[in-house]
Amino acid sequence: MTPFQWILVGAIAALAAVAVLAIVKGKIGRIAGAAWIAVLLVGLLASIDPERVTTVANALGINRGADLVLYLLALSVFWGFLLVYIRLRRVRRELTLVVRRLAVMEAEEGGTSDRPAG
Amino acid sequence: MPAETVQDATTAASVLRDSSTWVVVPLYNEASVIGGVLRELRRRFENVVVVDDGSSDASYEAARPEATWILRHLVNRGQGAAIQTGTSFALARGAERIAHFDADGQHDVRDLQRMVERVSSGACDIAIGNRFADGASNVPTGRRLLLRGAILFHRIASGVELSDVHNGLRVFSRQAAERIEITADRMAHASELVDLIAQSGLRVEEIPVRIRYSEYSLAKGQRWSGGFRVLFHYLVGRLFG
Repeated sequence: MTPFQWILVGAIAALAAVAVLAIVKGKIGRIAGAAWIAVLLVGLLASIDPERVTTVANALGINRGADLVLYLLALSVFWGFLLVYIRLRRVRRELTLVVRRLAVMEAEEGGTSDRPAG
Repeated sequence: MPAETVQDATTAASVLRDSSTWVVVPLYNEASVIGGVLRELRRRFENVVVVDDGSSDASYEAARPEATWILRHLVNRGQGAAIQTGTSFALARGAERIAHFDADGQHDVRDLQRMVERVSSGACDIAIGNRFADGASNVPTGRRLLLRGAILFHRIASGVELSDVHNGLRVFSRQAAERIEITADRMAHASELVDLIAQSGLRVEEIPVRIRYSEYSLAKGQRWSGGFRVLFHYLVGRLFG
């Protein structure tokens, strides 16, 4: 293996260790954890044996393995953005509920928002 | 319609004011016009709930002496969020009917009164203003095209046969308001509302209303780019909740 392959393998192994720890500590669900480990395993295999990626790419009608990796990367980034956006929407929704609750509380307590005299 | 006779501070004349309809006015940066809008509303409605949606100008200070109730969002959360805040507040205070009324002076209080009469008489559960019904509104061409596009979209997407889906002048019976909860914080709330109404099976009536377009309101109103943003948020909301 080339030095860069060793770096890739090391980085993927570290990420896999983090994923396993997250599953053990219950920070991510088992299904999500398994999916992450599967993705990392595919990455590990591709790092060790790039020719196999080219074989898979050819089977899918793509000339080069690098192109397949690039397409998958683009899809992953899009998917990541979508997940972050959905989470952001949830946080915004929760923020609205907090802001609403505060506004109503202040109005009821006659604080910042209150019933004007007269 | 329960109403009480009160002495109007401005005109010093005795008028009948509706005390069972709570008018919710979402407010954001309308300091120059909100005072007049609220004075006009309070001549006819006892309970006017203003929700200042984190305005950066003096809207809150301008609205405070005129509103019956004024609530303030600490940070801007959008018109949909402000309307729902006011609606929840009014319901908790025992409102029999809830009305939505814009803060920019486009709506006419007499139209609102006619809509309230339709709901309070039991003719419908929800009354929605229709600016296209009698041609009384001077809708600019660009705005007309945008709104017609929205109507067509909702006919296809939701199967709703409304003629003016993005009219902010609305009246709900208490039962209707309790069943409809707006979750779209920003301008997509009008589209969400159409879906919620369609799903609820409530009786809806469109009432001809006049929208007063002025240079001021047009400068603040929805643009084409905003329309596409609303569409995006609406579609995402439908897909991901």
